[in-house]
Amino acid sequence: MVIQNLRLPFLDSCVALLAACAVLLSAPDASAQEKQDKKLTITGASTAAPLVAEIAKRFESANPGVRVDVQTGGSSRGVNDARSGVSDIGMVSRALSKEEKDLKSFLIANDGMSVILHKTNPVQALTREQVIDIYTGKISNWKEVGGKDQKITVVNKAEGRSTLELFLAFFKLNNRDIKAQVVVGDNQQGVKTVAGNPGAIGYVSIGTAEFEVENGQPLKLLPLGGIAATTANVRNGSFPLARPINIVTKNEPLGLVKKFVDFAQSTAVTDLVKEQYFVPPAR
Amino acid sequence: MQPDSSVSCAPGLMAAPSVAGSTLLTAQVHAKLSERLFVAAVWLAAALVAASFLWIVADIAFHGFAKLSWSFLTEAPRSSGRKGGISTILVSTLLILAVTVAVAVPLGVGVAVWLSEFSRRSSRTARVINIALDVLAGIPSIVFGLFGNAFFCVFLGLGFSIVSGGLTLACMALPILIRATESGLSAVPHDWRQGAAALGLSKAAALWHVLLPAAAPAITAGLLLGIGRAVAETAALVFTSGYVDRMPESLMDSGRSLAVHIYDLSMNVSGGDQAAYASALVLIGLLIVINAVAIQLSNRFMKSRIQPA
Repeated sequence: MVIQNLRLPFLDSCVALLAACAVLLSAPDASAQEKQDKKLTITGASTAAPLVAEIAKRFESANPGVRVDVQTGGSSRGVNDARSGVSDIGMVSRALSKEEKDLKSFLIANDGMSVILHKTNPVQALTREQVIDIYTGKISNWKEVGGKDQKITVVNKAEGRSTLELFLAFFKLNNRDIKAQVVVGDNQQGVKTVAGNPGAIGYVSIGTAEFEVENGQPLKLLPLGGIAATTANVRNGSFPLARPINIVTKNEPLGLVKKFVDFAQSTAVTDLVKEQYFVPPAR
Repeated sequence: MQPDSSVSCAPGLMAAPSVAGSTLLTAQVHAKLSERLFVAAVWLAAALVAASFLWIVADIAFHGFAKLSWSFLTEAPRSSGRKGGISTILVSTLLILAVTVAVAVPLGVGVAVWLSEFSRRSSRTARVINIALDVLAGIPSIVFGLFGNAFFCVFLGLGFSIVSGGLTLACMALPILIRATESGLSAVPHDWRQGAAALGLSKAAALWHVLLPAAAPAITAGLLLGIGRAVAETAALVFTSGYVDRMPESLMDSGRSLAVHIYDLSMNVSGGDQAAYASALVLIGLLIVINAVAIQLSNRFMKSRIQPA
């Protein structure tokens, strides 16, 4: 009996608590509808998220009262959410596939990458196969590719980095097969490692590499397929080791969405694009 | 040990039992050796664990200390977190934790009390609940994240918000908290319950004045483990409380937690490593502070009810 008496009020209060929670939490939902034209939700690629979040902050301060929420989850999610209407805008860090052409896509930045060597290394170019062989350990001395008799130090990116994914995808490599002597975290570390080691080979974002060379770091950017690794060639789309950073919408953008898309493509955010080591598209 | 060995080596006993004596001797040497090995292994294990903890803390402190300053704690992040500080992220983290604790503690303690005081271990409901808890405790956090997103964000319409994140973390922390509270309650001697009943205390009064205070250290330990798991969570939060690093205005706003911030800085932001280390240092500091405060509170709760004899 005692047990029964105590058990019921407890359950009752639980139910009451849950009900109270539901009421409390659903209340702000009603006013959310009114705020709709003042609020944008953007979801998608985690590579693009830091850039878009910074663009969003600048957009918010230029348009008082507007709120832009940026959420991550990957390019596919960006596509799905934009299509289903969960988000107003999706972020996709690759070109849209054939099945995704129903979406409108807008280029906001390019992500290009360059293979870098030490400036004193006499090697002027490497073929695709040579890069693959060096990274898989089949070639371990520079003389095998026309350089000095010097051991090659392979510098790879840490797991999870977007540049690693881009590199692996381009050379169709599996990270397990890469025999690296040094694993670095970010671009700066990659630059420092190669600049400090005449036998090293690495890869970093093209924006970083160009910037560092201009600032006197002893680096050399290798051309790929005969095309020089420059931000200009990334911008005009001719450099192969690059990918576009797009934002996508389901329909032709209108109102606030259009305002944001235009803003993200304008020169007002060029410095933000560069700050993330991306290449601003031609305007 | 000592007298034994002198006996076995005594010259008078040389003749017949010499073989037995020598085996006894080797057995003793073996015993001593294995004893030493055992002690060494135990010390080594303890030292290894302490060393790995110290290594982690030292590494993070070494890389992050230069960046850490008062302004790092009080400024909002700029340039994707490379510059500025983590003030908004700290606030979001604390709000998410507050929601988690506010939901998990009453629910968790309630379920534990029901399990240990109002149900028989062998009853069908208790068995079902126990199995459910074991399964919940073993579920990977990304599954909680996806569940939280589907249930709290979409189905209940809470969207990406601190509430969604806190509720998802509460689901994760609950099994640990319930298990710890339950074992704390069942460790209270049965005499105490009978004593309370003999004094005419109702079951609720006995719980409040005797059983829960006595179990308070266990509840705190469980809560701390749960909070530790929750505060370190990225996978469950990316899809629930989200990525927005603005200062939250209400619990319905999306807010980035420290762990998500650290993950983003180290994975998606070039040049964010130092800020990531500094944020990790803050996260560890935060955990130490939470631990200290929680242990203080539970001791006070226990002492205010149960006077030490």
